[in-house]
Amino acid sequence: MSATSTTLGTARAAAATRPGPTFARLMTAEWTKLTSLRSPWWVAGVTVAVAALITYLSAQASSGDPGFQPLDSLPSGLILAQVGPLVLGVLAGAGEFRTGAFRTTFTLAPRRWPVLAAQALSLTAFALATAVLATAACVVGLMPAVASRDITVDLTAGDTPGVLLGMVLLLVGLALFGFAVGVLLRRTVPAMLTALFLVLILPIVLMMASEPMVGGADTASLSSPDQVEQVGVLGTLVVASPGGAAQLMTTPASFGPMPGSPDLGPVGGGLVFGAWILVLLVAAAVRLRTRDVR
Amino acid sequence: MIEVEALTKRYGSTTAVDGLTFTARPGTVTGFLGPNGAGKSTTMRMVVGLERPTSGSATVAGQRYADLPAPLHAVGVMLDTRSVHPGRTAYKHLLAMAQTHGIGKARVREVIAQTGLEPAAHRRAGTFSLGMGQRLGIAGALLGDPATLILDEPVNGLDPDGVLWIRRLVRDLAAEGRTVLLSSHLMHELALCADRVVIIGRGRLLADATVQEIVARSERAGTVRVRTTEPEALARELLAAGAQVAPQDGGALQVRGVSVDDVGTAAGRCGATVLELGSESGSLEEAYLQLTGDAVEYRAAGTQGGAR
Repeated sequence: MSATSTTLGTARAAAATRPGPTFARLMTAEWTKLTSLRSPWWVAGVTVAVAALITYLSAQASSGDPGFQPLDSLPSGLILAQVGPLVLGVLAGAGEFRTGAFRTTFTLAPRRWPVLAAQALSLTAFALATAVLATAACVVGLMPAVASRDITVDLTAGDTPGVLLGMVLLLVGLALFGFAVGVLLRRTVPAMLTALFLVLILPIVLMMASEPMVGGADTASLSSPDQVEQVGVLGTLVVASPGGAAQLMTTPASFGPMPGSPDLGPVGGGLVFGAWILVLLVAAAVRLRTRDVR
Repeated sequence: MIEVEALTKRYGSTTAVDGLTFTARPGTVTGFLGPNGAGKSTTMRMVVGLERPTSGSATVAGQRYADLPAPLHAVGVMLDTRSVHPGRTAYKHLLAMAQTHGIGKARVREVIAQTGLEPAAHRRAGTFSLGMGQRLGIAGALLGDPATLILDEPVNGLDPDGVLWIRRLVRDLAAEGRTVLLSSHLMHELALCADRVVIIGRGRLLADATVQEIVARSERAGTVRVRTTEPEALARELLAAGAQVAPQDGGALQVRGVSVDDVGTAAGRCGATVLELGSESGSLEEAYLQLTGDAVEYRAAGTQGGAR
């Protein structure tokens, strides 16, 4: 080990300036960390494959209808594929804590929150690429049904560009949502269950609870149009919940509001979902900054 | 230079570290010793800013760790082999570490070579043996060519080759003028490579001294052991000469307060046949057990009497 002292000596001389962890460096490092694991690649691949498959099956199933509108089936692939980015985010967020790798991470950057920002940005880049591919996969999945019916589809007309953009942003948003929950809870399984509950189960529960029948309304009043139009508390909660708001992002603006819910539109839904992500990220950053990491 | 002053950490009602003060100086290997659960790792985590002290302070090169502009260049840290994502290869783990401080790939390959990790560099860390994990941790600590190194139980799980390598490495690092703080629960391991030893038990400082000083504190140090055919007669003779005598098994006596020559002469005077005679130096291990005897948090119930 006579080489030890000489190599260390040279390295020490070379690193005379010795700059620390800038944000750009943390970004590079976090990108290396994210892409050097196998799970993100697997999750991304499965997400794209599932998006194509479910869209294909859904379009095939409805292609028999006389009024078949292929583009209506476009977001259907995401019903299952949206779980992918959510899982990706939770794994990226909680993985460091689950494995103990956070000790290395936070001794290298003791201010901690820039690491969180760098991780969120790296994940956004990775999720964006996945989302674009998954959305393209949905379009491809549609094609056999379109071809079989001899219909032409125009992706640039009407609501379609908005829906496509909404699909991409939804998937990216879900990755960030999962990430925030993962960093906040620091354990993979509880974070995964919480994220799935908030995004997939809670809106359904609220929607079922907001059904007038469940609310005990008499059947006569159901038929009156103004009753249906009325915006209820539970209906508002549906679109204010992270999952409910997120789903609005892929609902064309021309569809109008869900019965009993305020009309947020795709943009409004996206903003509500974005606000949820921001709140959770800030909470995660505060916890990271003020609490010990063991 | 690591300075720990009146450092205290409480978790609810338990006190993990209790008013601990010590200094690890440049150019020396400081051994940090204590039974399991004594607060060694908690202290180290506080020094590197992962945990906040309840009170007191810990500084590296005169600064709080969190205020260091470039931590990786200032302090090389190896806390726990579980500080690496098991799904990442050794090379990628070190590369990501290096990238946070703008360190190039050449230096990453250098530390991989220096720690003997080449054959495993592109294997995922989760497949590593404990010893390989230790080497990876040490590679990470060396990456920034730091003036201070903090190594938590680096010898754990290493094979004999690895143990020799670590001893030589920490000696070399200290000889280059670096500060090395090295924790262990094995006294003899530190005796071979540490200049100074800081011993803690239940979060409190028990001793902060050189290895020689601690050996000298051993109860056995400076005593004479003699085995004879007439222990009673010899004991009377020695007591008369002002010595303290403790009878032991097999006709042996442990004598304190007189020299080997005195004991030999006394045996001659009372006509006892000496079968064995020698001075005892005591051992670091014994001194350590005496120091920490009351401070051991976890102990098997059956050994409670026998261990003393």
